[in-house]
Amino acid sequence: MLNVENLSISFGTDEGLITPVQGVSFSVEAGKTLGLVGESGSGKSITTKALMRLLPGNARLSPETRITYRAKNGKEIQVEKIKPHSRALRSLRGGEIGMIFQEPMASFSPVYSVGNQMVEAIRLHRGCGKREARELAVEMLQKVGISNAAVRIDQYPHEMSGGMRQRAMIALALSAGPALLIADEPTTALDVTIQAQVLDLMRELQRDLGMAMIFITHDLGVIAQIADEVAVMYLGTIVERGATRDVIRDPKHPYTQGLLKAIPSLETLHDRLSPVPGDIPSPTERPSGCPFHTRCPDAINNICNIKTPVELTPAPGRAVRCWLHDEAQSGRSAA
Amino acid sequence: MTDATAGKLSAQEEKERQKRLKYYSASQWTLIWWRFKRHRAAMVASIVLGLMALMGIFAEFVAPYGPTTRDTKYIDGAPQIPMFCDQNGCSIQPFIHGVSTKRDPVTLRAISIPDPEKRVYVTFFAKGEETRVLGFIPTNRHLFGLSDPQAKLHLWGTDSLGRDVFSRTMYATRTSLSIGVIGVLISFVMALLIGGIAGYAGGMTDNVIQRITEVVRVVPIIPLYMGLAAAMPKEWSTTQVYFAMTLILGFFGWPTLARRIRSQLLSIRNEDYVVAARLAGARPGRIIGQHMLPSFTSFIIVDLVISFPYMILAETALSFVGLGLRPPTVSWGVLLQQAQSVRVIEQTPWLFIPALFVVVAVLAFTVIGDGLRDAADPYSEAR
Amino acid sequence: MLRFTIERLVGMAVTMLLVSMMVFIIMELPPGDYADRYAFRKYSGTGVSVTEADIQAIRVELGLDKPMVLRYFDWIGNIVLRGDFGQAFAFETSVVKVIGDKVWLTLAILFTTLIITYVVSIPIGIYAAVKRGSAADYGLTIFSYLGLALPNFLLALILLYFANRWFGADIGGLFSAEYKDAPWSLAKAWDLIKHLWLPAVVLAWSAVAYQIQTMRATMSDELNRLSVTAARARGVPEGKLLIKYPARLAINPIVSTIGFDVNRIFSELPIVAAVLGLTELGELLLKAYLDLDMYVAGAILLLLTFMIVFMNFLSDILLAWLDPRIKLGA
Repeated sequence: MLNVENLSISFGTDEGLITPVQGVSFSVEAGKTLGLVGESGSGKSITTKALMRLLPGNARLSPETRITYRAKNGKEIQVEKIKPHSRALRSLRGGEIGMIFQEPMASFSPVYSVGNQMVEAIRLHRGCGKREARELAVEMLQKVGISNAAVRIDQYPHEMSGGMRQRAMIALALSAGPALLIADEPTTALDVTIQAQVLDLMRELQRDLGMAMIFITHDLGVIAQIADEVAVMYLGTIVERGATRDVIRDPKHPYTQGLLKAIPSLETLHDRLSPVPGDIPSPTERPSGCPFHTRCPDAINNICNIKTPVELTPAPGRAVRCWLHDEAQSGRSAA
Repeated sequence: MTDATAGKLSAQEEKERQKRLKYYSASQWTLIWWRFKRHRAAMVASIVLGLMALMGIFAEFVAPYGPTTRDTKYIDGAPQIPMFCDQNGCSIQPFIHGVSTKRDPVTLRAISIPDPEKRVYVTFFAKGEETRVLGFIPTNRHLFGLSDPQAKLHLWGTDSLGRDVFSRTMYATRTSLSIGVIGVLISFVMALLIGGIAGYAGGMTDNVIQRITEVVRVVPIIPLYMGLAAAMPKEWSTTQVYFAMTLILGFFGWPTLARRIRSQLLSIRNEDYVVAARLAGARPGRIIGQHMLPSFTSFIIVDLVISFPYMILAETALSFVGLGLRPPTVSWGVLLQQAQSVRVIEQTPWLFIPALFVVVAVLAFTVIGDGLRDAADPYSEAR
Repeated sequence: MLRFTIERLVGMAVTMLLVSMMVFIIMELPPGDYADRYAFRKYSGTGVSVTEADIQAIRVELGLDKPMVLRYFDWIGNIVLRGDFGQAFAFETSVVKVIGDKVWLTLAILFTTLIITYVVSIPIGIYAAVKRGSAADYGLTIFSYLGLALPNFLLALILLYFANRWFGADIGGLFSAEYKDAPWSLAKAWDLIKHLWLPAVVLAWSAVAYQIQTMRATMSDELNRLSVTAARARGVPEGKLLIKYPARLAINPIVSTIGFDVNRIFSELPIVAAVLGLTELGELLLKAYLDLDMYVAGAILLLLTFMIVFMNFLSDILLAWLDPRIKLGA
């Protein structure tokens, strides 16, 4: 239902043009969940913002970018070509694609009740009256597990607990009836116990409503629980893609391998954690060649630091950008 | 060949690394200075203000005449702009036309008429009145003057008593800027004390101080200043009035800064490093001075800079309505006292030149304050 | 909400009490006492010679022989209980008579100024924040710098000059000559409105400059908030979005500084009044100070401060009503 090809985003800044997202391609099937994994600064949030044309004014999409979205009525929309301030864009935002954010407190306006903001969204996208919208809102709040929804609807965000706010945020995004939900680290700011509840809730809602989902996180553990497919991002490019189970069982890219090793587990409790060494470089100092070569334990000298890797297909349904999987390159280095 | 490129690359990388090392190891103040230098408007404003301060400090030398010297031959005279050419040809040295006095046949008032046939040349470091630069260096040289010591050059014209507006403005700059500086210093010390006590002690002390601050903040400031200024005995000397004015301005300038210091102190009072210092047995004065203040010194400096304009504008306004400094003291406000009516704009607009100084000084302080604020913000990214 | 209101009212009363003490001290500051000045005023030039005994008699008559604390209580008691602000010697009448309807004129100037300030600065501030970095934004920044730097009396003179050239001579003051001492009528009110804009524009000038900066800054902050992006991601139309989400919050700092604006306006009022020849409290205050007519000056200072404190109170209430988070904290 969503197909992204060659998405590149640049920002004009005082220090010149920076390109935090380069040549990203992926697709999301109806009813399925795509997990987008990466450290902070890897460009995952910006990528999803581009899907809804939420980028700031100094951002530019490259001319090769193609974002194709199949709407609920079956029509295909070229998202990158929609005019700003158009009706088409407004119905895409919220009505077709919903979005929830990391911090529920900050994503509500503090001066309106939760109900006010829900009714607004429902009326915008479902074209119903005030009373009907309110009923729908109460129903939605019940659905996300908020007890006493008829009272809670008139509360302000600051009167709710963190977990409840996140539930309300989900209800708000879903109340407009989107076919695709983008969840930007929705559980990061929550306590671990509540995290699990919210994840369960989202899985449940997805099944009930039959929506597709893009789930952004830096936590491969969360991905394992919720995503059908996973795309690992590093410095604005997708370094590895594939079915979640395959990627986790058999990671091909050294970065994915590093991320997996960094997850603490019961078996390795007594060992030291092994984080991915080094820091993520800033987008203004993008390394030449493979962006990961500065931190890669297996980097091939004079190849990885010079040539940008192309996407390879090591197995059916898998994709990886790494010279280690290109026989010609790694063979030459060994010889 | 590959080795050569690798070597070159690493040399460049090394340079880059050195640059970064310098950046990361620079002190807070160096960083602020680097960022401030990039703020072009603030740099220009600093230079302008610096020049203005120099004019004020060396007023005796820069001004060709004393602040009260009268030129009865040139009353309410228009600015004399040095020229290089007239109908008799050109000269390398700038000159003005001499002035002769005639009587207006109708009003019988003396009026001055430039004589286009008489050239008087402008010279630098000309001989003129005896003065003491900075109050103790005797000299009779001035930055510029006329070749003929009998004639007088009034670059910005004269007032109704024939006093040179340029010279008076130079002396006024000294008075007005110095009142600003002393006023700001007094209010700074008071703010530091009051805000420091309130913010460090907290609780009841803080409550009482907050109430008092509130009272001072709520009374309209110029009418309050006026009330205090009006109480100055008429027989006080100009020096007494000058010091009283700085005291008045300084004495009520503290609330904003005191509030800032207080809230900053309150917010870091329970930071771990402050608690640690307290547990280590440091005295309150040391804790405030050594541990708490440095964390927001840069903000205090910004606040000080932006409180200058208020001092200058207050002094100008008070003197303007006759409740501040009194003649023969000259300040920008005192000079503008002569420019109170529309008639002045029509007839002797050059009397407004001191107003330009007020505007430029206030603008300069504001721009520098903004530049400093941006520079002092540790989160503004700049290298 | 009720508790909040009462708390603020009590706070207001305490502040006014402290202010009245400060004002009284200022009234007592000028050298010599009221009786000296009263006698000097009354008899100078009349040829009557005044002895120390005469002055002492005046002192006793006016209750000036009592200690300062008692005099303070007399003064504030008369104001609170009887609305009597004491004697104005310049006009040989009570302060209340001297002040008279000048309070209303002052309020008229104040509210005209405030309306101009907010009507101009709020939309422009929003515009500058939305168009941040554009030529218009830079232009507005330069304008507001100038607004802060140009002394108001200078602006008053400049405007007066141009008003004289374009609209004829009779533009200063608050009334045309024929209405100056006329009783109130519709025609007089209209005349006032015609004269009000000049002082209001002068007084609004720096407030506009300041509030454009405030509005631009807070609006820029608000625009970057996640809640705005979230609303945009829900498809809220841009125009409605700007007003409902960032602007609605960005206006709070403006509301909370209404008292501050009133303070600034009153602060500038005496100077502007002197230049424009306005016949209201500011001008009277300046005159009273120059004449050392301290009962009049004290009364005006107290009244102006009371208006500021009251506007502070109103802005607190308005803010609590605008921002649901405040009630919780109170």
